[in-house]
Amino acid sequence: MAELRGSFGDAPNHVLTRWFGTPDLHKLSVYESTAGGYTALRKALLEMPPADIVGEVKKSGLRGRGGAGFATGTKWSFINRDAPGPKYVVVNADESEPGTTKDRYIIENSPHMFLEGVMIAAYAIGANQAWIYIRGEYDAPYRMLVEAIAEARDKGYLGPKPMGKDYPLDIQLYRGHGAYICGEETALLESLEGKRAQPRSRPPFPAVKGAWGRPTLLNNVETLATVPWIVQNGGAAYAKFGTEKSPGTRLLSVSGNVRKPGVYEVELGKSFRHVIMELAGGPPEGRKVKVFWPGGSSAPVLPESMLDTNTDMEALAAARSMGGSGGVIVMDDSHCVVRAAYRLLQFYAHESCGKCTPCRVGGNWAVRTYERILANEGSAVELGILERVADGLQNGRCLCGLGDAAGWVIDSTFRHFRDEYEDHALRHTCNVGAVLANA
Amino acid sequence: MSVLSPHLVDEIKALPARYPQPRSAVMPALDLAQEELGYLTPEAMSEVAVALQLDPGYVEGVATFYTLFHLSPIGKHRFYVCTNLSCMLRGAGDIVDHVKGAIGVKEAGEVSSDGLFSFEEVECLGACEFAPMMRLDHTYHYDLTAEKIDAMVAERRNRPLHIRGEGQGEGLKPAKPRKKKSG
Repeated sequence: MAELRGSFGDAPNHVLTRWFGTPDLHKLSVYESTAGGYTALRKALLEMPPADIVGEVKKSGLRGRGGAGFATGTKWSFINRDAPGPKYVVVNADESEPGTTKDRYIIENSPHMFLEGVMIAAYAIGANQAWIYIRGEYDAPYRMLVEAIAEARDKGYLGPKPMGKDYPLDIQLYRGHGAYICGEETALLESLEGKRAQPRSRPPFPAVKGAWGRPTLLNNVETLATVPWIVQNGGAAYAKFGTEKSPGTRLLSVSGNVRKPGVYEVELGKSFRHVIMELAGGPPEGRKVKVFWPGGSSAPVLPESMLDTNTDMEALAAARSMGGSGGVIVMDDSHCVVRAAYRLLQFYAHESCGKCTPCRVGGNWAVRTYERILANEGSAVELGILERVADGLQNGRCLCGLGDAAGWVIDSTFRHFRDEYEDHALRHTCNVGAVLANA
Repeated sequence: MSVLSPHLVDEIKALPARYPQPRSAVMPALDLAQEELGYLTPEAMSEVAVALQLDPGYVEGVATFYTLFHLSPIGKHRFYVCTNLSCMLRGAGDIVDHVKGAIGVKEAGEVSSDGLFSFEEVECLGACEFAPMMRLDHTYHYDLTAEKIDAMVAERRNRPLHIRGEGQGEGLKPAKPRKKKSG
């Protein structure tokens, strides 16, 4: 495995990463002997009625770590455990939000911790089978999960009677094929069913009609990897971390212009100044932070002056951004905001599934407009077009959030860096050149 | 004459039983076909459709949606260089230029004249703490430098011919550069 860049080892705030860095932690025997692995599954299966497990997760206040931040326990309780017929847990391991690497970090370090969470979730909601939808480019994490699942089967933790309990459990893997849209839950379900991954309209929600038409719980890797700790230590213990409305810790993947990029476990409510300047070591020598994306490329940008914004979801909402996927992308003053926004719009235009017109057309329209501006062919007209396109992409005009995210990139960079746009479009200059010349 | 080998067709026919509904087998089946042929030809997609009792147009519709399915020839070794924001901020542009020079191609999607290499620019691969990074065939490579890329290219060029086909798509002929999409 590659070198660890990020959190590991014993620290008061290391809920997920406490045992990361232990040699061979990916092996079931080491996970059990060192990290007390699978004791939470044993406890859940043998000592807890399913409703109590859901109750503990509710009490923990855990919120989904994939992007939307929905209350996990509440989501679990939407599934009618007693309804006849199959139910499924589907895990979103299609990590592809730009700047986000934490699910890979978890799977490569402690695949069994993640699988244990999947098994507990399946039992809690009354599913016998879980499907992990993992992005196709994740070759090493895929192989690690294949091996970990085989170990769990050999040991009987997956099979007809896990821990001696008469409750069959099974986990299957399904590989994605390079489509960002599959991170959206209903597009993921379409893909799992062998179709083009285009989002469904809701209702019906997946809890009622999900994978193959059956009630389905969809959770992110990090969300489920947190569950064994909650079952073991209780929801109340977890809720002591973080803030009242955003309890717990989460993994922030810090990348871009910082000295120590890595995946850092942070108690929610700590400031981005702490994350970027302390944990990640701040920008390179002689450079200043110019802007950062606090929760993946889809989270509206925040300028350097807002580094004291806290990491909890309420603080981010108040700053007109969001926690998103926890991907913190930092850009220093040697880079141009307009060019960065252009690169991200290329991404959103490329990844649009084509189902909703505003997103299909708007992304490409924005890309062409950026190209005119960056070729010094811009004017006030182009700035007006960008603002109109940004508006057209947002505000629930599309079935999923991809269009909104594209709009937010334009919108938020405009909000905080209007002068840079005007430099490019009206004065046909780029102030980054001036910054570098004076450095 | 079929393009997929008989044992592969049998393997594809066995796939639907693994899923709650048979249609879920379409991507795993296309994977098998692509592994054998290197890329998906219209004939290969039709044969997958027949084996799965699906409409050929449907199978092609799925294959064209996902970027990991190749619809035109690719090199035996494929560079997938991330150029999204986190890598761009750490020099991905220079890495792209260097890869192109090292394997002798001018644009993304082109195959080198010896058929050994091709390269694509890809979106975020989820390993941003190691930027700039890329996937070469089925392995991630981190903290890229020009020297590292030169070494990877040289090592693959110098492999004896009989083990060169270890990547996907053994026996591919050198292909003409793919036409750039208009618009």
